[in-house]
Amino acid sequence: MAGVRLEHVYKKYPGSDKASVTDFNLDIQDKEFLVLVGPSGCGKSTTLRMIAGLEEITEGKLYIGDRVVNDVAPKDRDIAMVFQSYALYPHMNVYQNMAFGLKLRKFRKDEIDRRVREAARTLEIEHLLDRKPKALSGGQRQRVALGRAIVREPQVFLMDEPLSNLDAKLRTQMRANISKLMKRLETTCIYVTHDQTEAMTMGDRIVVMKDGFIQQAATPEELYNHPINLFVAGFIGAPAMNFITGQLVEENGSVRFKATGINVEVPEGKAKVLRSKGYIGREVIVGVRPEDLHEEPVFIEASPNSIINANIEVCENLGHEMYLYLNGLGKENVIARIDGRSGLQEGQNVKLAIDMNKIHVFDPETELNVLEN
Amino acid sequence: MNKAKLQRLEQLAGAPVDVRVISQSEWEQAGGSKHPEIGDCVERADGCILVAQADGDDLKIIHIGTRLTPLEKELLGWAMKPGQSRPPSGTSDAERQARKLGEWIEASLAAGDSRAEVPDRFELRNRLFDGMIPFLILSEQADDREPSYAELEKALRSFISDEMFLVPLREREWLVLGSDRLLAEVDAPEEDVVEKDETKEVLYSLATGLHQMFAEEWGGECHVAVGMPIIPTESLVETVATLRETIYLGRRFHVGVQVHLPWMVHLERLLSGIPEATRSRFMEEMMGRPDVFTEPETITTLDAFFAMDCNVSETAKRLFIHRNTLLYRLDKLKQETGLDVRSFNDAVLVRIMLLLYKVTKRK
Repeated sequence: MAGVRLEHVYKKYPGSDKASVTDFNLDIQDKEFLVLVGPSGCGKSTTLRMIAGLEEITEGKLYIGDRVVNDVAPKDRDIAMVFQSYALYPHMNVYQNMAFGLKLRKFRKDEIDRRVREAARTLEIEHLLDRKPKALSGGQRQRVALGRAIVREPQVFLMDEPLSNLDAKLRTQMRANISKLMKRLETTCIYVTHDQTEAMTMGDRIVVMKDGFIQQAATPEELYNHPINLFVAGFIGAPAMNFITGQLVEENGSVRFKATGINVEVPEGKAKVLRSKGYIGREVIVGVRPEDLHEEPVFIEASPNSIINANIEVCENLGHEMYLYLNGLGKENVIARIDGRSGLQEGQNVKLAIDMNKIHVFDPETELNVLEN
Repeated sequence: MNKAKLQRLEQLAGAPVDVRVISQSEWEQAGGSKHPEIGDCVERADGCILVAQADGDDLKIIHIGTRLTPLEKELLGWAMKPGQSRPPSGTSDAERQARKLGEWIEASLAAGDSRAEVPDRFELRNRLFDGMIPFLILSEQADDREPSYAELEKALRSFISDEMFLVPLREREWLVLGSDRLLAEVDAPEEDVVEKDETKEVLYSLATGLHQMFAEEWGGECHVAVGMPIIPTESLVETVATLRETIYLGRRFHVGVQVHLPWMVHLERLLSGIPEATRSRFMEEMMGRPDVFTEPETITTLDAFFAMDCNVSETAKRLFIHRNTLLYRLDKLKQETGLDVRSFNDAVLVRIMLLLYKVTKRK
């Protein structure tokens, strides 16, 4: 087992004037499950491919364990990869698919057999060992691809969107399976996904990327509760965080946030930071998670300084919870996530209270979270 | 000694290792012999130096920043002496024959004789009458060392079957001929024969498997092209020409794609044959807003849209975006260019513009 370290890693393709990955610095601990997440084209797959040895590193150093592996061939890096297009070897049966890598590395037959059968048992595909890939379902193929990686007993697993070819139900199931498996194998895993739910549920730590830069690397809780900038705040969480542009003003010794349809008091702890950083009288973007808008009478009663009134434009009832798309607050639509049994309906006016202790304040120019930086 | 080997040596020695050039007199001052040979080693205050290459008055040496035991010196010197590594290529009979065949293919291509049949003088000829699937592999790995014929052949035999030929062509380029029985092997036992319509799909899956095997288990990233089964004696040269062109077009027009299919690059082949001036005039006339295609999001969206046969739902699924987001993007493109990719004629124009733009942009 080993950790992975990237030191000032850059990737620039010939003929391109912009780097695809810029100054990537990260220390991935041994046995850590690290998730690289970001929108399409953010450089997450390129980073993974550099770790795999499938892309050359333009600048910087890559360590697996204590060894610099910039110029080491993929097969000699002691890694195993599972990609989105898990190309099983179509002319081999499941057993042969899983055994092939070991056979090529000249493992003894009994050792190959032991590893393949053990991995098949772990993945519950023992009954499929004689089948050809064509006779397998998507989920089964995915498990074979995982099995092919597991039998190698590598120092590091690399996975690039391994679940994206599966349907929603199977994805959820496989997500849990992979998490369990990695915990059991106690191997370092670097996992790429565009899906923030996957990232939040699987990763010990998440790296959010955009335009080739690391935006933030932190635990799921840290990312959710303390996003460093507007991008991370908007990317993590579904429905996404509401952003309301407005003004911070000082009135009667307290700081208030004012926008169309909103006039709420900022708690003293946060107000103190905003005063010290000179944001009073300036335009800011306030971020509110949908679940931090409350319609419960008890909460409204207890929060007289953070009440807002809005009209429900659309109401989506998911049974256990309800999404309210609200009109008349700031310039953008605001979404509230409330209890599914609230009985609220479209077109109705609603009184809500914002949990001001949980708001985030962003600088419109730098897009940084003023309260976190 | 390549970079990887130097790094390995650095790890084994536990000290910095670098390559330097010194003069003959410096070598002698350090205690080296008057006639240095590769692998000779002397000790200096800052560590050991080993001769890697003797070229006139200059010596290319490997400097190891630590003292070595006599046994370590002897072993290192032995490992560096010529002839101690793998036997040079061209030693086995099979390899010699394959190389000759490769040279003949190259010569025929250079002479423009793409319809040439494998001449009787080749011993291999008798084994080239059966139906075979041609694969062309072009390695992209930036490693100093090209895999040896014997090693690669062994790996491919394990992967495909013993009924295969490996023919080295140009540097880092190999033709692999696998028995067409592979097509039947891909099928599940309950299915009897491969339907003709499925052959291309099966060939693609075999090429993808070969690519994955080569990339992960062998020599790193590569491009693979696969053709329909052939009788090699009759059309070997023509097949190599087609597959080589396929990889060329695939690399040029579809960056990031590693497996290329001749039947998927018809339009690219046609566009590639249009004179530069004509292409430029077309682009000038069509591209009222050249900046539209500089947006990576637009290019990604259109690529996916065409790959999914202009199916909005499937494209949205592939791009992990909501259907309405995709429709918004397509409407925006229509507003900016006047071209609606949901209509067939405009889709054809945009597809051609996109292909041409990607090529001109990379110039």
